[in-house]
Amino acid sequence: MISTQRLFSGLLVGCLVAISGHALAAGDVKKGADVFAEECGDCHSPKEGKAKKGPPLFGVNSRKAGSVADFAYSDAMKQSGITWSADKIEAYITAPRKVVPGGKMKYDGLADAAARADVLAYLMTLK
Amino acid sequence: MSSHPTVRKTRTAWLGAVLSLASALALLAPSAQAVPSYARQTGADCAACHVGGFGPQLTPYGINFKLGGYTDSDGQGGKVPLSAMMVANWTRTAKDNPTPDPALHGNPNNNGGLQEASVFLAGRLTDNIGTFVQSTYAGFERKSSLDQMDIRYARTLKLGDKEGVVGLSLNNNPTLTDPFNTLGQWRFPYTASDFGFGFGPSPIVESLGGSVAGVNAYTLWDKNFYAELGAYGSLSRTGVNMVNTSRVAAGGIDPGQFKGLATYWRLAYFKDMKRDNFSVGLLGFNAGVQNPDDPGTADRYRDLGIDASYQFLGNRQHIFTVNASYIRERQKLNYTFGTALASSNPKDTLDQARIAASYHYAQTWGLTAGLFDSRGKADAGLYGSSYNGRPNTSGYMLQADWTPWGKESSWGAPWANVRLGAQYTGYNRYNGGSHYLDDSGADRKARDNNTLSFFVWTAI
Repeated sequence: MISTQRLFSGLLVGCLVAISGHALAAGDVKKGADVFAEECGDCHSPKEGKAKKGPPLFGVNSRKAGSVADFAYSDAMKQSGITWSADKIEAYITAPRKVVPGGKMKYDGLADAAARADVLAYLMTLK
Repeated sequence: MSSHPTVRKTRTAWLGAVLSLASALALLAPSAQAVPSYARQTGADCAACHVGGFGPQLTPYGINFKLGGYTDSDGQGGKVPLSAMMVANWTRTAKDNPTPDPALHGNPNNNGGLQEASVFLAGRLTDNIGTFVQSTYAGFERKSSLDQMDIRYARTLKLGDKEGVVGLSLNNNPTLTDPFNTLGQWRFPYTASDFGFGFGPSPIVESLGGSVAGVNAYTLWDKNFYAELGAYGSLSRTGVNMVNTSRVAAGGIDPGQFKGLATYWRLAYFKDMKRDNFSVGLLGFNAGVQNPDDPGTADRYRDLGIDASYQFLGNRQHIFTVNASYIRERQKLNYTFGTALASSNPKDTLDQARIAASYHYAQTWGLTAGLFDSRGKADAGLYGSSYNGRPNTSGYMLQADWTPWGKESSWGAPWANVRLGAQYTGYNRYNGGSHYLDDSGADRKARDNNTLSFFVWTAI
């Protein structure tokens, strides 16, 4: 039998999600690490200062796009004006070329919303 | 190289010699490749491009890097496109080889030492031009050669809402250009002892390394459709001796010469789903081969093949791969049969099938099992050391290997790279059946050639 306290908590969480509009689903960090290895790790390192074909994603949250020193970004990325946040990253990995037309990243996007949530949760831990 | 060629050498019949060359080359251990300069250029770890953290079995990332002309980088300058590699091994066969190949400077059994030392010019030269050029010192033969050459121009082309990579390759081996892990130059085993007994005769498309030069145009269109078309010409005898190949000289056999240009074509469908990927493809090769000392009438070789591959990469902790190919060669022996009288048939066929499956754990521990099968039409003139006149050779190869480094967080990355491995090759049939005649004319069992080898393969 559900206690009154649990029911109240559930309703409260439901209301908060509802009023936040596009609130992102909570992802699983461990699954996100696997998604990162499958989808991102060939070109991006989670380590600080380690550039591959793409820039390192350590500390990507709150970072200004195109700002990693010495990395050769596209002009489109440098001029995008984006500061990476959870929703911006989510939009970018959904459809990179829509968010940054003319960018260099050769990635079609991750269609699976649950996988996006997981990898986003993992990226948020890279700090 | 074994001293048990699968065909009888008929010094007076040049095409017998050509076929001997093809078989001798087929018996040669595959040349190994591992190129850390690409890792330094891209900033990627070896495991990004190669299954198991060591060359050459390519992942989709590696396939795209190759098709992009070896030019992708981390955007930083100052990268020197040079690498070096060494392979040392120790080999024991089930029964002593009574007629060891003098070119290998070995013993009847239990041979060990440096097999290969290579330097590579490998990497980006300009935004659109890159190279894979390997020069090798063969330790057992004590000779150097220009081993492999693939110089590419590549760029992205957009038509409508579709785009692809298009490129040109100047190269010296028809299957060297292939991006998948199924054909001659790039299939398992990725290294094998020179003192092994090979895998039976190969079709001509897989037997030409170093003795030809070609230009190929290719594309990977819309990430899925691969097409390649190439034309090859023979190097002159002087050219062969200049750049290659001690291996040809070791056999003392003239490689023959193409009449006109040989053509190579390749079509494949490739699907990368990140978690896993697959490819299916077709290939063809068509060449006329003539005696350079008696040009005119030429033998005609037509190869047609099919291949397929599958990789499960997942989160890279448990990687499974399967690579398979089948090639049928039709030989029209106009010169060999009609003029040189060296074959028993005017037309012969050769069928080669190969399959290998691998598992790698944590990009470090690897197990691979492969099956090989070559069979041909009975021709007592060409295959005189076979009891039934056929060159049929089949068996299996098992490999276990350990690659301690090659990952992003590895010690010494990307400079320190090594793979230690053990291989066992078992023969069900050799040169026709379970028995054949060795070079001394004595009966020998196929299983006498079973080979155990340990290798150390390192690259910087």
